[in-house]
Amino acid sequence: MPAPLFEARSQEDVTYRLRLPPFLERDWQEALPDLLANCPPGPVDLDCGTWPLNVRDLQHLIDTLEREGLSINGLEACRSETVISANALGLQARLRMEHLQIKPVADAAAGLRLHQGTLRSGDHVNAQGHLLLVGDVNPGARVSAAGDVLVWGRLRGVAHAGCLGNSEAKIVALQLRPLQLRIADCVARGPDEQPQPGFAEQARIVNGEIVIEAAQPLPPIVPATERDDSLA
Amino acid sequence: MAPTSRTILICSGKGGVGKTTLTANLGIALARQGQKTVVLDADFGLRNLDLLLGLENRIVYTAQEVLAQTCRLEQALVRHKQEPNLALLPAGNPRMLEWLKPEDMQSIVSMLQKQFDYVLIDCPAGIEDGFKNAAAAAREAIVITTPEVSAVRDADRVIGLLNTRGVSPVQLVLNRVRPKMMANQEMLAVDDVTDILALPLLGLVLEDEQVIVSTNRGEPLTLNGGGSPAARAYANIARRLQGEDVPLIDPAKEGRGLRAKVRRLMQKKIF
Repeated sequence: MPAPLFEARSQEDVTYRLRLPPFLERDWQEALPDLLANCPPGPVDLDCGTWPLNVRDLQHLIDTLEREGLSINGLEACRSETVISANALGLQARLRMEHLQIKPVADAAAGLRLHQGTLRSGDHVNAQGHLLLVGDVNPGARVSAAGDVLVWGRLRGVAHAGCLGNSEAKIVALQLRPLQLRIADCVARGPDEQPQPGFAEQARIVNGEIVIEAAQPLPPIVPATERDDSLA
Repeated sequence: MAPTSRTILICSGKGGVGKTTLTANLGIALARQGQKTVVLDADFGLRNLDLLLGLENRIVYTAQEVLAQTCRLEQALVRHKQEPNLALLPAGNPRMLEWLKPEDMQSIVSMLQKQFDYVLIDCPAGIEDGFKNAAAAAREAIVITTPEVSAVRDADRVIGLLNTRGVSPVQLVLNRVRPKMMANQEMLAVDDVTDILALPLLGLVLEDEQVIVSTNRGEPLTLNGGGSPAARAYANIARRLQGEDVPLIDPAKEGRGLRAKVRRLMQKKIF
């Protein structure tokens, strides 16, 4: 079993991030202390990945880490049962959607998908690349795209741009009044104030948070066949 | 089949917004205006249409016996004593839900289409099998909603489902409107509702206490020639369905004129 990865989150951060290896072996409980021997003591953010850990296993893992001098600051996992166990033990835990790996995806390759017509409550439209919806998105409806979400109408439902992890993606609408906005793995509630009529707005990630601003002209979306990789 | 027989589904998504009341009153109103009308209760689990029409104690056979061919359609239909143009086909018993298929509803409706100008189907609440079976048999639909966020959300969902099933045209009735609350912006405005639902407004019915009285008595409001606002609204909806151009009431103006004030005074109990 490969050694758990130990990486610093950022220069200023005192907590380090301990990422457990991708698979779980039956005798992980015995093998773990040797692997952790190389990690410097101190507080860590634990990334459990896809490990399914019930309360007992998680407690054992925490005890093992503590024996090596590592204290758990926070926890991230792809499995909800692990998050639930962590909460039960009083730890701060976050569920990470497995497919939302933080790496940019070449969504421009899939081009632009056009959908005409209003989406009613309960409907969901998804696109591999960018999505242009001509019509309204009613409350209770969802639009998602691996690239940008462009609504030529009123966005009143939930929009998810960059749903495969691209945090450069944008959400633009003629009238941005969403229930919820999601870009990559950031989530934000829609604004409470009524928007000015005739004022198109866009949402994008700035400094790790979703912000809403006046819509800017879009860079040209290059169709897949014309894309020239040498310009990247 | 009567050449212009129309089959209209009356649905809402949300429960309790006034489907059965609309079906009963619309049935009476159409019958009064000369149309041979049948109302079909498609809510086999919790049937109410017979109660509202005051025909509960005259039911012998139901849709179930008609399907099983234990009786003729004529024996199951209950004719309204005061409005002979109106008939009711009562709902079967709840156990029918286990085996009822869309084709069964379609066969009942096609039997009814042969002798009636209007077939009104009272849909159960929700979007499950009851709704799906009823929608399979309908050609057009009337979606009824109240000016409340949850009702509008559910209506939006239902309209989407009707669109995918090719039910057309779908029209909208806005029920239980309170003009004072709308004026104070405590209730969704008519425009707010039509903005989201994007459907033509077939009618607007004001909140009316008389509806409760009429339900308990089993006498739909439209039966007594309509003095109350709701009764007039239902009669107007019937006329619009037949193609007449009747202007919609404006909630802001309703209840202000001298006539309305006198009417209210007459209806108020003084002792």
